[in-house]
Amino acid sequence: MNKQERSRHYQDRVRKAIAKPSLQDTLHRFADAYVVAREAAFAGHDFEALRRAIGEMKDQVRDNLSRYQAEFTANAEAAGATVFVAKDAAAANAYICNLAKDRGVKKVVKSKSMASEEIHLSRALNEAGVETLETDLGEWILQLSGERPSHMVMPAIHMLKEEVAELFSEVTGKEEPAEIPHLVRLAREQLRQGYLDADMGITGANVAIAETGGIALVTNEGNARLTTTLPKIHVALVGLEKLVPTIEDANRVINVLPKNATGQLITSYITWIRGAVPCADESKELHIVLLDNGRTALAESPHCRDALRCIKCGACANVCPVYQTVGGHVFGHIYISAIGVILTAFFHGLDNASELVRACIGCRACVAVCPSNIDLESIILHLREVLGEEEGVGVGKSLVFKKVMRNRKLFHGMLRAASLLQKPLTRGERTIRHLPLFFSSLTDWRTLPAIADKPLRDLWKGLPQKVEKPRYRVAFFAGCLNDFVYPEIGIDLVKVLNHLDVEVTLPLEQSCCGVPALYSGDRETAVAMAEQNLDALLHDDPDYVITSCPTCTMSLQRDFVDLLKDNPVWAEKAQRLAEITIDVACFIADKLDGAADLVKKAGAEKVTYHDSCHLKRGAGVWQQPRQLLTASGNDLVEMAHSDRCCGFGGSYSFTSHPDIAKQILGDKVEDITASGASCVAMDCPGCLMQIRGGLEKQEIAVRAKHTIELLAEKL
Amino acid sequence: MTNRFVEQFTKAAQNVGAEVHLLHEQKALLAYLGERIDGSLLLSPCPSLERAEIPAALKAAGLDVIDSNFRERGAAAVAGLSGANFGIAATGTVVLESTAEAVRIATTLPEKHFVLLDPQKILETADHAVPLLNDFHQQLPQAYLAYITGPSRTADIERVLTIGVHGPAELHILLLEGLSDDLMER
Repeated sequence: MNKQERSRHYQDRVRKAIAKPSLQDTLHRFADAYVVAREAAFAGHDFEALRRAIGEMKDQVRDNLSRYQAEFTANAEAAGATVFVAKDAAAANAYICNLAKDRGVKKVVKSKSMASEEIHLSRALNEAGVETLETDLGEWILQLSGERPSHMVMPAIHMLKEEVAELFSEVTGKEEPAEIPHLVRLAREQLRQGYLDADMGITGANVAIAETGGIALVTNEGNARLTTTLPKIHVALVGLEKLVPTIEDANRVINVLPKNATGQLITSYITWIRGAVPCADESKELHIVLLDNGRTALAESPHCRDALRCIKCGACANVCPVYQTVGGHVFGHIYISAIGVILTAFFHGLDNASELVRACIGCRACVAVCPSNIDLESIILHLREVLGEEEGVGVGKSLVFKKVMRNRKLFHGMLRAASLLQKPLTRGERTIRHLPLFFSSLTDWRTLPAIADKPLRDLWKGLPQKVEKPRYRVAFFAGCLNDFVYPEIGIDLVKVLNHLDVEVTLPLEQSCCGVPALYSGDRETAVAMAEQNLDALLHDDPDYVITSCPTCTMSLQRDFVDLLKDNPVWAEKAQRLAEITIDVACFIADKLDGAADLVKKAGAEKVTYHDSCHLKRGAGVWQQPRQLLTASGNDLVEMAHSDRCCGFGGSYSFTSHPDIAKQILGDKVEDITASGASCVAMDCPGCLMQIRGGLEKQEIAVRAKHTIELLAEKL
Repeated sequence: MTNRFVEQFTKAAQNVGAEVHLLHEQKALLAYLGERIDGSLLLSPCPSLERAEIPAALKAAGLDVIDSNFRERGAAAVAGLSGANFGIAATGTVVLESTAEAVRIATTLPEKHFVLLDPQKILETADHAVPLLNDFHQQLPQAYLAYITGPSRTADIERVLTIGVHGPAELHILLLEGLSDDLMER
């Protein structure tokens, strides 16, 4: 399939998924229940410490993979198992199929294993003339429907009970009612004989323990216990990343896995198996297939290797707004959601991952809940860069990044020109409600702000700053949106900071932070932008560099350092800038302690707060704006899902995935409306564009404001 | 009662749908089982049950006890009875050294699983069980160890929690004092 075809197929699947509201409803309801259950499960536990420990342990295994693999193999074989290391899917399938043929196996029962999905083991066995029966309820449903799992832990989460009843009716030959207890009972009865008849049981493993040569299985249904007990041959298909050094380490993983996967303290069954255990007065024949299939390549990739820490809990899907909108059949290949994007690239090839790499909106919700401390978003960004190099960033984008954005005067000149060109569309207003022709879809579901008549940089000279004895002299990094679309935010920022005895400068040589280029996979342009901005911002040696856009903040604090770390000329400067860069709300609350000095005008408004992804999960700032809003006399009410993405995501909502962005915005607008507030505050001009646009388009009378604007209103 | 985790254990096990009862004497045990078993009972081999002469008492009470040929007779049994090596209070888990196949069949195939646990043998958390797991692996060249927490469950259809899919639909944990103080019993 060529790139265009692939992309068309993908977009088609996105549209179909969005057109299925029952899917979104199920996934949203699950997501809500999950958050509550997970929090209860971790009560009294230090999640950060737990995940740090798992990450460190997994890294140790990765860095000594051959040693642990050898230790595991020796101990498993000493206990009577046969261990086979399969370099790829074909080798694993061939080994298992040959074994089945050699032992005269007619029927296999399987308990749930993502590794077997990964290598299409059932298909290989069926082609070899061996009947396979999935015994996990969800997997059995999918075997009947001919689909693949849409979630790692809950494979059939996309299906309704009515659809399941229909499938089961085909099995029994009579109409089965769509009642869940009945359907579960039916599965028990239908599958029971399978265990008794099967000649071979196939399982995965949640951990493989080097010091014992044993494995452990984490299940709820009890099918793995039957699968490993009744048939005389047991094959365990285990990804190499499941190796852990000791029982204690295995316990560490098992302690966290169910809590993070489904919010259960523990699953119904944890099964520890070492060696050829007794079976029908003999010993069981146990084969352990250790699967590489891209894992050692992943271990050697410095940017991506943290993904091998994954314990397959599926939490990254549970909290992902994109997953909640389109499900795992769209946002996944075999492995789904954020981790799926990365594993697909290594296990199934970059080609299969290329659409998924772009489908991540970058909200970092997954990073916050990952039990192995994987910075999934950073790895996905890296893959996007690689893809940019392999497939190009797109002709139009590439030209903009390379020729325009890197040249500040040209870039800003074009923005000024756009301000004039848009005149017929804005009808003198600050927002664009409708766009003509093929741009019309962009304003179907949100208004767009007009580019300001005069950017902040032009207004700056006329801005009086009356600070007699400044406590600090700070430089303001406005970012494109504040400079050219929302200059009023910059003006309010000066007003508030001056009031708190801080003098503000606007270094005019500053340009775009480079994120649009970086997130689209053009690293070269991002490096050029980082260098330009470092020169501009550090020139006058300010006490702090203040930001009002969290994406810019992350860029200045994190990306510049990473982009320039190997460059001796720039690395130190980037480090210095990272140290003095601070978000404006954080600056006022933490450095000025000025919250008490913010109210001059009385009058409380009911304000709700939207946490911007990059502010809360990037910069770790979420309490400070709330503090300031309350201290300045507002009546703060929390909306549901306050830290869920608004669906902006920069070019995500314009070019790459506007359909998904629109859905996510719809959820946000619903939550804002339900809060009963008359104003929604936020600290990101991108979120502001998205949320204000959504509210205006739906004609909802709720003001959307940057926190700094609300603070300025009180002065 | 001196074990300080009994209450926590009981609550945690009940939270996940297990029945937990404290029985003070064998007579109560026989009555409890007699009321709930209508069919044959797979009796998992367990030294402390033997020592307490429970198998004989069950037979004397008229229960249809199966203690051999589990592979042939297991599928038709309605219940299984086993001991437990120890409990874990934080999660309401019972831990069964299940290397002998009969233990596994008795505790996986039937609809009801009755497990006898001496309340003295309740540990606080899974972390406290790690040294015991290590000991089992030292002692047993081949090992099959089972943590059982509540009945078999699934939420695979519309995320609705449903009990009893492949394993036992009922888990009865019967706390019987004086049964055994050996956590490594096998």
